[in-house]
Amino acid sequence: MAGRLGRFVAAALVAGIGAAATDAMAAEAVSVRLKWVAQAQFAGFYVAKAKGFYAAEGLDVTVNPGGPNLNGETLVASGADHFALAGGIENLLASRAKNLPITGIAMMLQRTPSAYVAFNDSGIKSPKDFKGKKVSTFFTGAHNTLYAVLSKFDVGANDLSVVPQAVSMAPFIDRQIDVATVMLFNELNVLKARGVKDFTVFRAEDYGVSFPSDTLIVNEKLIAERPKTVQAFLNGSMRGWKYAAANQAEAVDIVMKAASGLDRAHQLAMLAEYSKLMVADLGTSQGIGAMDLAKLEAVRQSLVERKVLDAGVRIDSALEPKFWNAVPAEYKKP
Amino acid sequence: MTDPASDAIIELAGISRTFGGGAGRVVAIDGVDLRVGRGEFVTLVGPSGCGKSTLFNIAAGLADADPGGEIRFGGQRHAGRDLLGRVSFMPQRDLLLPWRRVIDNAILALEVEGMRRADARARALAMMPEFGLAGFERHYPHQLSGGMRQRVALIRTFLFERDLMLLDEPFGALDALTRTMMQRWLLDVWQRHRRSILFITHDVDEAIFLGDRVVVMTARPGRIKLDVAVDLPRPRPAHVATSAGFLRIKSALLDAIEEESMKSFTMAGH
Amino acid sequence: MTPGRILALQTATILACLALWEGAARIWGGPYSVMPSVSAVLADMVANHAALARGILRTLTETVLGFAAGAAFGFLAGAAFAQFRLLERLLLPLLVVSQTVPVIAFGALVVIWFGNGILSKVVIAFYLTFFPVTVNTLRGLMSVDPQRVDLMRSFGASAWTLFWRLRLPFALPAIMASLLLGVSLSLVGAIVGEWFGDTVGLGIMLVQAMYAENMPRLWSVVVACGVLGAGLYGILAAIERRFVWWGREL
Repeated sequence: MAGRLGRFVAAALVAGIGAAATDAMAAEAVSVRLKWVAQAQFAGFYVAKAKGFYAAEGLDVTVNPGGPNLNGETLVASGADHFALAGGIENLLASRAKNLPITGIAMMLQRTPSAYVAFNDSGIKSPKDFKGKKVSTFFTGAHNTLYAVLSKFDVGANDLSVVPQAVSMAPFIDRQIDVATVMLFNELNVLKARGVKDFTVFRAEDYGVSFPSDTLIVNEKLIAERPKTVQAFLNGSMRGWKYAAANQAEAVDIVMKAASGLDRAHQLAMLAEYSKLMVADLGTSQGIGAMDLAKLEAVRQSLVERKVLDAGVRIDSALEPKFWNAVPAEYKKP
Repeated sequence: MTDPASDAIIELAGISRTFGGGAGRVVAIDGVDLRVGRGEFVTLVGPSGCGKSTLFNIAAGLADADPGGEIRFGGQRHAGRDLLGRVSFMPQRDLLLPWRRVIDNAILALEVEGMRRADARARALAMMPEFGLAGFERHYPHQLSGGMRQRVALIRTFLFERDLMLLDEPFGALDALTRTMMQRWLLDVWQRHRRSILFITHDVDEAIFLGDRVVVMTARPGRIKLDVAVDLPRPRPAHVATSAGFLRIKSALLDAIEEESMKSFTMAGH
Repeated sequence: MTPGRILALQTATILACLALWEGAARIWGGPYSVMPSVSAVLADMVANHAALARGILRTLTETVLGFAAGAAFGFLAGAAFAQFRLLERLLLPLLVVSQTVPVIAFGALVVIWFGNGILSKVVIAFYLTFFPVTVNTLRGLMSVDPQRVDLMRSFGASAWTLFWRLRLPFALPAIMASLLLGVSLSLVGAIVGEWFGDTVGLGIMLVQAMYAENMPRLWSVVVACGVLGAGLYGILAAIERRFVWWGREL
C-alpha cells in the first residue's frame, strides 16, 4: 500500500518536475523560409511542427512561405529568417561567391528535380537534337542544368534558342516551343493531369549530370553562436521529412491544413515525386538530407568550366556536414 | 471738433495701384479720390479695364494701395488690410458654394463671424420672402435660375451687416427683364435698410436709375473723370428713364464714356 | 432611363457575356483548357467556398487597412504640401521617385522590415494608395477658385476657416476621385503583398492555382478578386454620389 502510494507520489513528482522543466526552458523561437508558397514540396517542415518533432527538440518553429521574387538566401543572410530551404547547390555557390554568410547543412533532393520534355513526333530523341530548336527553361537555376546536359553532347548555348519559361505549360502544349523544362514534382504532373500524351522526358541523370537541389541553409552566425539550435532544427526537420515520406496522405493533410485552397490530388502527386528524388542514392543508403560531396563537386566544376562561377569558390566553404552527421540515424534513415 | 468728412462712410484720397515693374509696369488706378456718404447709393461706370475691380479690392481690404494715398473708413484712417471683415463685398459672379443649400449659402458670412448656425439660419429664413427666395431654402444653387442665384448672393451680402456694401456688376449676367426687376427690388431693399452702397456697372441707364451719384472713371490708368449728382426724386418709376432730367445726365455720361472708350480702344490697337 | 432599368440592362449584359463564355469554352475548350467554362469555375467556387471565403476576408482586411492608412497619409501629406509650398518642393520629388520602383522589386525588403504578418501586405497596399491621394489632395486644394477665397477673406475668414469651409469641400471631388483609384490599387497591393510569404489570401490562391495550372481555380479566384474590387469601388462610388456630388458644379 505504502509502496504503491510512494510510487504514485514519485510519478506525480516526476511528472510535475518534468512539466516545470519544460516551462522553465521555454521553446526557442526560430523561423524557416520556404522557396515557394506552402505546398507538399515542404511537407517535412509542416509535419515536424504538427507532430511535435520540433517541440521535442525545444524549438518553436515558424514556417514562412516563400513566393515570387522572394529569395531565401537573402532573407537568411540578412537575419530575417534563421533557416531556409533554398535552391540548388549552384545557387548556394553563387551566394558564397557574393560573400553571403550562409552555409548549407543538408541537401533534400539527391537528384536533379528538373527535366525536359519534347513531343515524340518532333523528332527529338536526345538532348543532342535540341540543337537548332526553341527550348524554354527557368532562369532561376534550371538553366545551369540544361547547359551542363547539352555540354555532354557538345551543344553550346549558341546552337539553340533558349527562352525564359512562363508559369504555364500552355506554350509547350500549343507547340509554340519545341522543348520545355518541367519540375518532376509539378509541371510533369500538370501535363499528366491535362491528359497530354506522346511526349518524352529527358532527365539529367540519364546523361551523367546530376544537380542535387533544395539546400537547407543557415546563417553562419547562428552556427557560431547557437550550434545546438542548428542541430535541434535539423533533427526535427529530418524526422519530419522521414515521417512525411513514409506517411504521404497524412502529410498532405497536414500541409493542406496549414495552407487553404490547395488541390489534394495535385499535392499527393507532388509529394510522391518529391519523395522519390529525396529517397535516392545517398538519401537511401545514408539518410534523407545527405550531402553527396562527389556530385556537388561535379556541379561546381561544370559551373567553373562554363565560367559562371569563380574557381576560388569551394564546396567545403559552402557546406557544413557536421550537423547532418550528428542527426540520429532513426530520424533520417528511410 | 467735427471732421467735415465724418458723414462719409468711406473716403479714398489719392489712391493709386501699380502692378509689376520696369517695362511691364502697369498703373491700374492713379490718384483716385472717391467718397461715399452714409446711406448714399453711388454708382461707378467706366470702360472695361479701367481698374474698377482693383479699386473695389482696395476698398474691401483684399489688396493694398500704393503708399501715399489715404483711406478713411467711418472717419478713421486705415491701412488697406484692416478693412477685411468691415465691408460687405459682392463680386460679379455669385460665387455660391455648390455644396451648400440656399439657406447655408446665405449664412456663410454669419458662420465665418462665429454665429451659431441655428441662429444664423433663423435670421436668414426671416429674410427669404423679402428676397423672393421663400420655399427655396433647401435647394442647391445648381437648381436655381441665374436671377435667383444672384438674389442668394445678395442676401448673403445683406446678412453680413456692414455699413458699406460694395456691389460689382451684380446684375451684369442677367437678361434685361430680370435685370429691371432686380434693380427695382434692390432699391426697395436699400431704402428699407439704408446701407451705403458703391455699385459698379457697365450700363449707364442702370447707373442713373439706381444712383444718388454717378462716378465715371477714365481708361487705364483709372482716374475719376466725372462725378454727377442724380437729382431725380425717389421712388423712381420705370418711365423716369424717358424724363428730360434723366436724358440730360445720360448724354453727359455717354459723352464722357465714349471719349474714354475710344481712348482705350486706340490703346489696345497699338 | 430609370435606375431599375439600368440595373436590369446591366444584369442582362453580364448574363449574356457569361453565356457566350460558356458556349465558347464548350465548343473550343477541353477539360483542362486555359479558358474553362463558367460552369467549371462555378463548380470550383462551390467546392472551394470555405477557402475562398477565408481568402476574401483576409485580402479584404489587408486592402481596407492599407487603403485607410494610405488615404489618411495621402490626405495629410497633400494638405501639408498645399499649406507649406517649400515642403512640397523638398518632399514631393522623393515621393515621385518612390513610386517609380515596382513593388515586386522589393519583396525581400518588405519582409525584412515588416515581417511575415499582415503588416507587410498593409504596407504595400498603403504604398500604392497614398501617392494618388497626395497628388489629388494637393491639386484639389490648390485649384480652389481665388475669387471665392477673396470673398471669404472679405468676411474676415481665418486660414483655418478658409480650409474647412472652402478649400476642403472644393478639393473633395478630386480627393474622392483619387480614393476610387486608390482602393483598386490597394487591392492590387494586398494581392501582390501576399506573394511575399503567406498562406491565406486571394493573392496566394492565385499563385497556387497558377503554379499547379489549375484553371478553374485560377478563374474562380480572379472572379473573387473582381467582385471584391468592384464591391469596394461601388461602396466608394455610392459615397461619392451621396456626399461629394458637386464635382461638376465647381
